[in-house]
Amino acid sequence: MIRLTSPFRVLIVEDEALLAMDIEALVEDAGHLVVGEAASVDEVHALPLSAAPDLAFVDLQLAFGSNGLDAARLIHERWARAAVIFVTANPKKIPEDFAGAHGVIPKPFSRAGLTSALRYIEEGLIAPPPTSPMPASFIASPAFAASWED
Amino acid sequence: MMDQRDNWHLTDLVEHESGRGDPFAAAVRATRMPMIITDPRQDDNPIVFCNEAFQNLSGYDRDEIIGTNCRFLQGPETDRAKVAEVRTAIEAGTDVAVDLLNYRKDGSTFWNALYVSPVRNSDGEIQFFFASQMDVSDRIEAQERIARQKAEVERQVEERTADLKTALDDKTLLLHEVDHRVKNNLTMIGSLLRLQARGIADPDILARLNAMLERVDALASVHRRLYQSDDVTRFDAGAFAVNLANDVVASSGRTEIDVKTDVALIDIPSTNASALGLVLNEIVTNAVKHGFADGRAGTLTVTARRDADQGIISIADDGPGFDASSTPEDGLGRMLIRRLSRQIGASVDWSSATPGARVTIRFAMEPDAVRAAA
Repeated sequence: MIRLTSPFRVLIVEDEALLAMDIEALVEDAGHLVVGEAASVDEVHALPLSAAPDLAFVDLQLAFGSNGLDAARLIHERWARAAVIFVTANPKKIPEDFAGAHGVIPKPFSRAGLTSALRYIEEGLIAPPPTSPMPASFIASPAFAASWED
Repeated sequence: MMDQRDNWHLTDLVEHESGRGDPFAAAVRATRMPMIITDPRQDDNPIVFCNEAFQNLSGYDRDEIIGTNCRFLQGPETDRAKVAEVRTAIEAGTDVAVDLLNYRKDGSTFWNALYVSPVRNSDGEIQFFFASQMDVSDRIEAQERIARQKAEVERQVEERTADLKTALDDKTLLLHEVDHRVKNNLTMIGSLLRLQARGIADPDILARLNAMLERVDALASVHRRLYQSDDVTRFDAGAFAVNLANDVVASSGRTEIDVKTDVALIDIPSTNASALGLVLNEIVTNAVKHGFADGRAGTLTVTARRDADQGIISIADDGPGFDASSTPEDGLGRMLIRRLSRQIGASVDWSSATPGARVTIRFAMEPDAVRAAA
C-alpha cells in the first residue's frame, strides 16, 4: 500500500461550476494543491499526464452525458495510484465494489462535512488506520478500509 | 341396505306381466327423461329403442332414429375427447357419464348430460346398452357465463393493478428526481454562501454569513438523513443530533473539543425535522462558541433519550457554566430557537451542568412512536 504525504495533489471532476469552485476552495483551505479540474470524461482525457493527482473528487453525473464511473476508470488508467472519492447526490448508484474508488461523500455536503471527510481521508492515506471516527459525511469503500490492514 | 349391484332384483319383486302391462317398460316409454337402448351385438351398436322424450329432445322421428348409431347427435363443436371417453367405456363394458355438446335435427345445439350403462344377462354378457340424456344447457351456459365474468373481472383487476404500478413507478421516479434537485439546489446554495464568505474582511459580517452557512448546512444534513433512510416520513432526531454536533465541531477546526454521545433512537415526524435541525444547530454552535471560548479544551456531551411520552435531547458543555451570556447573543439565533421550538411543540431550557452549561430540548412523542419503540 502506497502511503501519501501531505499536501495532496487534487483533481476535481465536477460539471457544476459553483460546486467545483467551492470544493477547490475547501481543498485549498485544508492545505492541499488543486492540480486540475474537469467537467466531463473528455476533459479528464485532456489533462496532461504530469497533473499526476494523488486524490480525485468525482461527481457521478458529468457534462455531455458522461458519468463519474467512467471518469474514475480513466483516472485509474492514467494515474494508477490516484485515490478516487465520489461526490454525489445519488450514492445508491455506486456499484458494490465502488468501481475501485476509496469512498463517497454524499451531496449536499456541508463545509464541516467535506472538511471532516477530507481529514479522515488524509489519515487513511497518510498514516492508516484513521484515528478520527468515520464522519457521517463520508462512506469508505470496503477496499479502502481493507487497505489499513496492510 | 341392499347392494346396488343386486338392485335388478327390485323390478322382479313387483309382480307384473310383460308387454303392454309391464309398468317398467311403460315408465321408460312415458318418462320425460329422454332414453334410448342400443344393441351392441348388432353391427355398429344401433339404437333399438327410443322414447318420446328422446324424439322431442333430438327433433328426429322414431323411424329416423331406430337402426342408427347415436353418433348422429354429434356435430363439429362436439368434444372429441369426451366422445372417445364414451367409446372406451362401451368397449370396456362400464358405466360412463359425460357432458356432451349435441346437435338437434334443426342444427341447434344443446348440452347433453349423457349417462350410458351396460345391461347384462344372468351369465354376465352384455345384451344392451341403456342411455339416458338430460338437457343441461342452462347449467353449462350459467357456468360458462360465470367463468367469462370471472375472467373479465380478473382482466380488469390485472389492468388496474398495472395502472397502479405504473402510477407508483412514476411517483417514485418523480420523488427521486425532486430529491435530486433539492440536493443539488441545497449544495449550490451552500457553495454560493461559502464562496461569498471568502471575500469578506469584516469579522462581524463574516460571522453572520458563517452562521447562515451553518444553518443551510444543518438543513442540508436534515434532507440528506431523510432521503438516505428507507422511510421518508420518519426522522431519527437522536442520530441527527450526533451528526450535527460532530459536523459543527469538526468545521470549527477545534480538535481539542471532544464529542461524547449517548443517544437512543428518537423517531419524530419528518415534517418537524427541519425545525428541530435548525434549533439543534443554534444550540450546538452556541455551545462551541461559549462553552469552549478562547480555545479551551473540553467535552461536548450529546444525549438523547425517551422518557415516557417525551423525547429529550440535551447538549452540555463542561465550560464556565450557565449565565446570561451563555445564550446566543445573535438576535436571529435566539429568535430561531424560540419560534421554531414553539412550532414543533418543544421546550428549550438552559441550566447549569456541573461543570458547564446544559441545554435541554423536550418535546412530546407521538403515542405510536412510543409504542413502536417499547
